[in-house]
Amino acid sequence: MAEEMRLLLEHADKIDPRQAEDYIKVGGYKGLEKARQMNRKDLIQEVKSSGLRGRGGAGFNAGMKWSFVPPAPVKYVVCNLDEGEPGTYKDRIICEKNAQALLEGMAICGTAIESKQGYIYCRGEYPFVVELLNKAIQSAKAVGALGDFDIEVRMGAGAYVCGEETALIESIEGHRGEPRFKPPFPGVAGLWGVPTVVNNVETFAALPYILTKGAEWYASIGAPKYPGTKVLTLTGDVNNPTYFEVPTNYLLKDVIYKLGGGIKNGKKFKAVQVGGTSGAFIPEQNLNTSIDFDSMGAIGAALGSGAVLVLDETRDIVDIVTRISKFFEHESCGKCNPCREGTFRCREIMEKINAGRATEADINNILLLAKVMKRAALCGLGQAAPIPITSTIEHFGHEYRRKLLQYA
Amino acid sequence: MANYKDIINSLQDKQGGIIEAFHALQREYNYIPEEAITEAAKVFGVSQAQAYGVATFYSYLSVEKRGKYIIRMCESAPCHVAGADAVIRAIEKHLGIKVGETTADGKFTLELTECVGQCQATPVITVNSEPVFNVSAVKVPEILSAYK
Amino acid sequence: MINLTIDGQEIQVPKGTMLLDACRQAGADIPTLCYDPDLRLAGSCRMCVVEAKGRPALVASCVMPAENGMVIETESPDVVEARTVVLELLAARHKFECPTCESDGSCKLQDYMYRYGVKESRFAGEGPHFYTEDPNPFIERDYDKCIMCTRCVRACEEITGAQAINIEDRGHHAKIATPFDGKLADSTCVFCGQCVMVCPVGALTSKVAAGKGKPFQNEKVLTTCTYCGTGCTFELNVKNDKVVGVTSLRDEKWSPVNKGALCVKGRFGWDFIHSPDRLTTPLIKENGEFREASWDEALDLAAKKLQDIKEKHGSDSLAVFSSARVSNEENYLAQKFARAVLGTNNVDHCARLCHASSVAGIGAAFGSGAMTNSINDFAQEADCIFVIGSNTTENHPVIGYKIKQNVRKKGAKLVVADPRCTDLASMADVFMQFRPGTDVALMNGMMNVIIAENILDQDFIAKRTENFEAFKQVVEKYTPEYIEPITGVAAEDIRKAARIYAESGASAICYSMGITQHSTGTDNVKSCCNLAMLTGNIGRPGTGVNALRGQNNVQGACDMGALPVVYTAYQAVTNPDIQAKFEKAWGVSLSPKIGLTITQTIPAALHGQIKGLFVLGENPMVSDPDIAHVEEALENLDCLIVQDIFLTQTAEKADIVFPGFSFAEKDGTFTSTERKVQRIRRAVSGPGQSKDDWQIICELANRLGYPMSYANAEEIFEEMRTVTPSYAGMTYERLEGIGLHWPCPAEDHPGTPILHTVQFTRGLGLFHAVEFIEPVELPNQEYPFILSTGRSLYHYHTGSMSRRAEALNAHMPDNVVQINPVAAERVGIANDEVVRLSTRRGSIELKAQLTDIVKENVLFTYFHFSEAAANRLTNAEALDPVCGIPEFKVSAARLEKL
Repeated sequence: MAEEMRLLLEHADKIDPRQAEDYIKVGGYKGLEKARQMNRKDLIQEVKSSGLRGRGGAGFNAGMKWSFVPPAPVKYVVCNLDEGEPGTYKDRIICEKNAQALLEGMAICGTAIESKQGYIYCRGEYPFVVELLNKAIQSAKAVGALGDFDIEVRMGAGAYVCGEETALIESIEGHRGEPRFKPPFPGVAGLWGVPTVVNNVETFAALPYILTKGAEWYASIGAPKYPGTKVLTLTGDVNNPTYFEVPTNYLLKDVIYKLGGGIKNGKKFKAVQVGGTSGAFIPEQNLNTSIDFDSMGAIGAALGSGAVLVLDETRDIVDIVTRISKFFEHESCGKCNPCREGTFRCREIMEKINAGRATEADINNILLLAKVMKRAALCGLGQAAPIPITSTIEHFGHEYRRKLLQYA
Repeated sequence: MANYKDIINSLQDKQGGIIEAFHALQREYNYIPEEAITEAAKVFGVSQAQAYGVATFYSYLSVEKRGKYIIRMCESAPCHVAGADAVIRAIEKHLGIKVGETTADGKFTLELTECVGQCQATPVITVNSEPVFNVSAVKVPEILSAYK
Repeated sequence: MINLTIDGQEIQVPKGTMLLDACRQAGADIPTLCYDPDLRLAGSCRMCVVEAKGRPALVASCVMPAENGMVIETESPDVVEARTVVLELLAARHKFECPTCESDGSCKLQDYMYRYGVKESRFAGEGPHFYTEDPNPFIERDYDKCIMCTRCVRACEEITGAQAINIEDRGHHAKIATPFDGKLADSTCVFCGQCVMVCPVGALTSKVAAGKGKPFQNEKVLTTCTYCGTGCTFELNVKNDKVVGVTSLRDEKWSPVNKGALCVKGRFGWDFIHSPDRLTTPLIKENGEFREASWDEALDLAAKKLQDIKEKHGSDSLAVFSSARVSNEENYLAQKFARAVLGTNNVDHCARLCHASSVAGIGAAFGSGAMTNSINDFAQEADCIFVIGSNTTENHPVIGYKIKQNVRKKGAKLVVADPRCTDLASMADVFMQFRPGTDVALMNGMMNVIIAENILDQDFIAKRTENFEAFKQVVEKYTPEYIEPITGVAAEDIRKAARIYAESGASAICYSMGITQHSTGTDNVKSCCNLAMLTGNIGRPGTGVNALRGQNNVQGACDMGALPVVYTAYQAVTNPDIQAKFEKAWGVSLSPKIGLTITQTIPAALHGQIKGLFVLGENPMVSDPDIAHVEEALENLDCLIVQDIFLTQTAEKADIVFPGFSFAEKDGTFTSTERKVQRIRRAVSGPGQSKDDWQIICELANRLGYPMSYANAEEIFEEMRTVTPSYAGMTYERLEGIGLHWPCPAEDHPGTPILHTVQFTRGLGLFHAVEFIEPVELPNQEYPFILSTGRSLYHYHTGSMSRRAEALNAHMPDNVVQINPVAAERVGIANDEVVRLSTRRGSIELKAQLTDIVKENVLFTYFHFSEAAANRLTNAEALDPVCGIPEFKVSAARLEKL
């Protein structure tokens, strides 16, 4: 198998995502129509049984998440379009190619949880996507496609941590984007303290297809436990660095060698980082793995956002990880001690190693720090920040040791 | 120039919309002036300290005066491996300023940024949030000359 | 109930219990840095992490609810490792200067590093340097010691409501900052020091206490604050018989009113206690100069002079000014001294100048002239608070915090009526900036709306009140449109305010001297009572007519009978039965003749009827209206005796001066504005030969032939309660801890936090038909402004104490006059420019403070400053006809450029 499977992106570049009519012509808003005719419980059950799991990185069953929402007079549907994982731009692509599917998906969720108001939180790096979405919403409202469901777009302002759902909620509320502790989960007390479902763009955009083609059909695509398609963005040392939509049982090596056209300039492969900058580095021996959530987990990696960064044999892993550690230092919100201080010290130690000033003790210290950050940080950012470090020490330890003082 | 009070007041109905107001202010001034933070706090019913805390939390918001064009160099891993460092050095050299500074004529401010989500064409810079693709050190003078 | 296992022990906790509390219940000692039981949870320090079996991550116990079946380990190797690493991370950036750190020995970082054996950090390296130079005289900010627990930010917002600080920037660069990272003085900071109180390390410390003693070296003596009537308790920190600081207890059992919260004066204004200006020996004036004297000489001379006057001119040529600042015991003795020893009812105190109209007005309407509800009602029970004529956040700061808490956290409605746009006004649902002196019109207008819209409480009016019809008739003409031009408040705002007040579940009126200090002060108070009765907002939690009384023991001084018409507990001197009771108790015959008030005594002295005056802790040379007139009167006396802790402007006029004790040096009780009687406790010795105030009175009495002898303050209290029904059930033992609200008639009586619950003290509540009367002095061409006077957050009374508190005086060294920028421009005055402010009584020179919190026709100045004394300007002749309170709040004034 080497072909893409375009579901969300089927009509890419053939329809204008701003125009609801274009989308309707290719069968759009049928899913919502169907959802509105369904009993709420059945609708949630349908989504549950499709096996659709969150595409933001956590991989939680979407229907299940919705089923936890308690009754309340006001509830919100929030779309996470704050894709800040370096190397990730799939949500932008989905919006630029098929924004109406996102809107329809949000309205379906609104129907399921009885919410009349949606928010799209779009990262500050995408002002043009905000513009596009506003036009798309206007068009959908104008043709009555969304019914009484309203959607407002809010723009982030340069904070990776706002991709974390509670930080995102804080940001919509106009606060510093600091994550909240959980419980309570947003489903119970989210935006402005009321029940709120937060899902990723890709999750919402899949819903119309599940509703129109059926849960069973969707469940049959890709990996059985993580069915459907996944949009990947391929970067780094490959011949074809672009985006793809593939079934979830697609193999990592095929992403690189078939879709990606192999390593650039005829060089050899060294490592691939999947899931964005917080993902693990995967060595060659693990390439024969399906990209789905669980298979990635089994090799100590994560599908995450679906970003795939390929490095050729000439790349300096320690240097790249040093750069990554700087990213986390910059993006830590500073709320909890392990992350605020930990990301800073990780960067400091990585720089020391990279500059050839470190000893074995520094490696031990950074591993200890990593362990505590993973287990004691307040949110996913601090918990994931050390993964690139630990995964590279595990698989590419020799590159670290080569830079230690005694060998310099 | 639009009055900062008008800009803020036009958004006052957005619940929690202070960040939206900050964006609108930056579109006009390229930074958020002190008096605008004070006014926004009042309009959105938060304390001045909170408003200031918000304005300094997000890296795209600035409470310090910036140039007409804000150049942001992405230095996340994909751009990093594609040669971002060389591009930064070239921009610094070309403009005669360091990262975080503004040219004497008030035209350019150079900032580093994390991933801007345009990784199909690395390295990437943005100028006032518009991405410029496949930048290289040699292309820098030509790219920047387009901004008057 | 939830069942879980903690460190092998099975325990049961109620649903919703956080793991932290469950662990503590199980006896585990969980370390915390960001956790504070009074503040919203942060869950950020991660020190309280514990291991929950089956969960991959450690859980922060402070924010994790206990769940059924959890198996928790609180000190597993992983937990210890995580805590150790967190401590090492904090240590890596911490500035360790423990030997000289003010928090050494009371620092949580130190404690936990010791506990987990963290001697050095494996992560030491570079670190941001955040030391903040802040020139304020109160709070040292050293963010190189900050651990980013954000307790200060939360305390500032949630306890005080000042919202002065927040986090600036993010990540490792994040630090605590004011807006624009400026000085605290340029922010909304009120220097309450709640941030210092909650800081678990040495990042925020008191500059006033710096270098004087480490917390663990100090003995701590719980007492009650002397700076206002709120009745906050705190601990005087004592080292080598000197007060070296103030800290507070956050336990409601010992700090029932303030729960540890204080204001700038309470926390940072204590150093006047050891001021070099303290009086240390008795003084006798000879040829216009004071010389030191022995106690015997001074007391003998004083006794002789008083005796001579009494013999020559009769008892009623003598008068005593008692004090709202001394204890109940001392007030009891002072009035007993006047009545039983001197033989006159000429005894009064400064309540005459602040709340005489409350005593008269509430007394007439309800039968008991005191605050009807308790302070914590504002914070917890009230759904609406109507603040009129009270700048609460400056004058009763801790009550101000509570109002803010209720509005922000519980969503209570806030209606503010004030001539100035005060701090509370700026957050009010409705703010009515009315012309000074038009209070009756304004409230009649509100009541007109309530009657017209039928949102009154008919049942309450019918069952609990009388004289409604006469009242209703008067109110009829005060439509909002009628009073709009009188008050300057838009009719629609009056309607809105009336509706909010009438339609909320429980509405509390909170007022202070803006209501009372008028020639119509009693009428103003009666209007407040009318409003409460009309809507049934009295006698229930969260309601009431709540007169906020200014001084620490002004309530007590009234209760103790330091008033010319009543003995203790408002027992009339004219009532023969009462007279007989006191004659029996005191063993002398007493005068049934009503005595003179302060405002009558001064002119009586001027005209020669009063020949001798004994002043205990009062300072009429600064506090009383028309000081030139006071000065003339005092100079006309044959004998002026002043007992004080400083040589006040009044003491300077005295023939004999007795050095007394400050609150830190004495035992006794204060009664706060909410009628709560609380202990004060001796912490240090008095300076030099100064004596306990009650002892001085006793020795003087003994020399005048009336034996007075007590072993201690408690014995005086014991005697007092035998003749004081509302205090009869109180003992020092019962007052330990949370104190008691009067009336407390028997030793098994729990006290009375809310008055008039079943019936009014007088039976039925009495409506008064009150017509609006203009203030005595209205502006004209010559004196175009309305001048109002009042208190600053940073000073107290006549400044004798607060201006000798170094930090307070450094922060606010001079008086200012507040003027609207538009008016200032008209007169050609710039901010900070020294101007001349005049009324028909006199002039003072002081700095102009341009601010739009006052309207164009209003000026405001403070009364604490003798060198630019507001009371050179005020009117001693514009008195309330019922209670004699002067109209401090309205004088016609002129402002001139120099």
